[in-house]
Amino acid sequence: MKIFKSLTKRYIVFTPILLVVVVAQVETYSQLTTSGTFGAAVRLAIPILLAGLGGLYSEKTGVVNIGLEGMMIMGTWFGAWGGFTFGAWQGVFIGMLGGALFGLIHAIATVSFQVDHIVSGVAINILAAGVARFLNVIAYEGVAYASSTASPRIQGDIGIFTMPFLAGGKIGETVTPNLIGRVEDLNIFLVSDFAGLMLGFLSNISYLTLFALILVPVSFLVLWFTPLGLQMRSVGEYPAGAESLGVNVYLMKYIGVTISGALSGLAGSYLVVAGTGTYLEGQTGGRGFIGLASMLFGNYKPFGILMGSGLFGFADALQLRSPQAVHGLLIVISIFLLVLTFKAIFEKKYKASVVSFLLSAAFLIWFVNSTSIPNQFVYFTPHITTLIVLSFANQRIKLPEKNGVPYKKGELN
Amino acid sequence: MKLAINIKNITKTYPGVLANSDVSIKVKSGDIHAIVGENGAGKSTLMKILYGMVKPDSGNIEIFENKANMSSPKDSINLGIGMVHQHFMLAKNLTVLENIILGIDRPFLKNIKLSKYKTEIQKVMELYSLNIDLNQYVDELSVGEKQRVEIIKVLYRGAKILILDEPTAVLVPQEVKDLFKNLKDLKNNGVTVLFISHKLDEVLEIADEISVMRSGQMIDTVLNDNVSKTQLAEMMIGKSLPTPPARLTSTDEEVILKVENLKSNDENGRTIFEDVSFEVHKSEILGIAGVEGNGQKEVVEAIIGIQALDSGKVIFKNNDLEKQGTRERLESGISFIPEDRQLQAMIMEMDLTNNVIIGRQNIKKYKSSLGTVKMKNAVNESEKVISAFEVKTPGTSTLATALSGGNQQKFVVGRELEDDPSLLIASQPTRGIDIGAQALIWEKLRNSRDEGLSVLLISADLEELIGLSDRIIVFYQGKLVKEIEAENITPEDLGSYMTGLKK
Repeated sequence: MKIFKSLTKRYIVFTPILLVVVVAQVETYSQLTTSGTFGAAVRLAIPILLAGLGGLYSEKTGVVNIGLEGMMIMGTWFGAWGGFTFGAWQGVFIGMLGGALFGLIHAIATVSFQVDHIVSGVAINILAAGVARFLNVIAYEGVAYASSTASPRIQGDIGIFTMPFLAGGKIGETVTPNLIGRVEDLNIFLVSDFAGLMLGFLSNISYLTLFALILVPVSFLVLWFTPLGLQMRSVGEYPAGAESLGVNVYLMKYIGVTISGALSGLAGSYLVVAGTGTYLEGQTGGRGFIGLASMLFGNYKPFGILMGSGLFGFADALQLRSPQAVHGLLIVISIFLLVLTFKAIFEKKYKASVVSFLLSAAFLIWFVNSTSIPNQFVYFTPHITTLIVLSFANQRIKLPEKNGVPYKKGELN
Repeated sequence: MKLAINIKNITKTYPGVLANSDVSIKVKSGDIHAIVGENGAGKSTLMKILYGMVKPDSGNIEIFENKANMSSPKDSINLGIGMVHQHFMLAKNLTVLENIILGIDRPFLKNIKLSKYKTEIQKVMELYSLNIDLNQYVDELSVGEKQRVEIIKVLYRGAKILILDEPTAVLVPQEVKDLFKNLKDLKNNGVTVLFISHKLDEVLEIADEISVMRSGQMIDTVLNDNVSKTQLAEMMIGKSLPTPPARLTSTDEEVILKVENLKSNDENGRTIFEDVSFEVHKSEILGIAGVEGNGQKEVVEAIIGIQALDSGKVIFKNNDLEKQGTRERLESGISFIPEDRQLQAMIMEMDLTNNVIIGRQNIKKYKSSLGTVKMKNAVNESEKVISAFEVKTPGTSTLATALSGGNQQKFVVGRELEDDPSLLIASQPTRGIDIGAQALIWEKLRNSRDEGLSVLLISADLEELIGLSDRIIVFYQGKLVKEIEAENITPEDLGSYMTGLKK
């Protein structure tokens, strides 16, 4: 009984994944699990992942960072400027510096001057939007193809990478077989769907994507298995205690928030360098905030953030590639809500069970009585999916204890 | 004999306060040395100076007969000084091991050698016979265990001088016993212990030498063998101690509050308390004893309607309170002193007049027919409280935060007693305040009781509980395990009931 309980608690998150695979067996919805969809999902997830990791570094040291969006905007502008002036990789680096600069501003305000973290974050977001427009007008005066809201195209690009043998990449000039691709074409239940997922990660991905993915385990190691990480986390948990042991609280917070800015900047420059190729005003589109949501979804753990941003990227990819497949998500949501209904009954939460049963029925009726989803709703898919999963995940988010609490040096009790 | 610490002529002023004035003290190596004094006597400031957290205005310190210049706790740690703070300096969401090794490595990007540290720490624990599971999260530890982690933490850093700031304030008698045993082991291993306290019995039990501080000055240092408790107390407060007068009136038969079979579960279905039944008579103080987290706080909250009940009845003056909200209950004659004056009892950024009307804005005295507040009455009221309870404040428009803890608490108690309630629920009414304020609050509570007030008293200070109460009930694991007349019990016995050692 106890084991069953802990199983449902831990693995109920995976039921929607299984449901998606089942629904994908129907021809109309096959786009749900193709390698193309997953490939797009990875591309769309990376900026959110990076912003989420950025948030992690900041909040683990106890500084709430809703300025991620603003730092990301700086990343897009500086990334494009660096890319236009020097080249793609230099652009990435300069974008990171731009983000880091705004991270530093946030750190100075919140750490040294004890400004409320939310106030400073809002200020950063407003400031960044203005600064980006200002810089864009100044920097590209008289340059062709530039306007006040867009930059010219960057020089060169970041290469793409396909895994040899597994995904059919080249070694030198020789083309190797695409083993996973063949498995995907076999259309075996679950196996082929999983192969699609693998291909999404291994074929035609930007080197920058690879770099971002490597940052996930790296962040885990840095934060949990190095003296630096331990000190950073301790500062978010109990700064007074950390200071009594000689930890430089301010320095740790500065490091955390600045890294946070750099990663958000990287997220922004990714949008430019691995995406549009130019800076466009408003192209971050609130991804910084979604990154913050993915951090909460991931319960302040790097791999959790990967899952959270992956989910959003998946939903985003679906609405872009196959609005038809989005319709299939309706039945997935309906069945998942039914599962939650039974879970609630099992836990004797009768009110919750009634609510989720009614919602489940509503989604079922919608699914049966329609063949597609109105376009307006399709665009909304990623956000609503994230919202639904966040609200039903029913997890206990473990915030750093002194997150968002300004700390004054020497304030030991 | 070698001196571990030699503090010479330390002076430290804060704006408007002379915290330490020309303080000198010598601590012999390998001794247990106690520093006693009232709250605000300057003990904590002196310790903060010794630990490098605060810089003195003048004077100097020698550690092991070498001149020491400390500008941060790190310097003190390097000199072999370790401090166990009154509020534990532990991060709840980190493991015991992480808490202990925090700050030892410089903050670089390299692998922490967790297993190496583990064996080293285990060696230290064996040497001083201290025991704890290193992999547990601090969140899961009891108070006594947390303190042990703090001690291990400083010993592992090679501390030869251990400063303990009010170490027994948070412990029950059994845990105090364990602590004292540990301290003696430390002493036998050559560690010098500096022990700060205002509990004279404990100091006399454990210390070799005792230094007394009063209003920022060092009064004297005496050998334990040459001093009595009364002498110490008189040195401490500068005048002879008031003794509680014996009760002259008697408890009335009339039942004011009656609770029957209270039961409540938390959201995970775990029982918080069950089978709780008791009565409070008119003109009686009923004490509630229990280690924090054994359900007594929730029971009290259930009586005033903050905590939801699964079953059971609360009957106040023959009325069932089930359908009444917290405000109605308070207006019907129950007063409540919450345990945390700064978080619950007062709004720190508001002035005293506003703090008097909080929660009472609907009673006739303060509400005009237009629904506005009658400020004049409120000002009169707060003036009344200030004079009756000797609250030291410039006036009624002073912000609550500007008052000292003792004066804040006097004001809260005064406010709650002003309305002539029939029942007062007092949760930790004198926690963390100085002896003067404590004596005044005790006296006021006794007087009100003699005039017919019923009091439900929850306190972690067992002496206060026994001294004030007529009857005491004990909570253990959410159940009422014992009911005793207060005259017939010692703190040690009470402690045994509270920890489930005795039934």
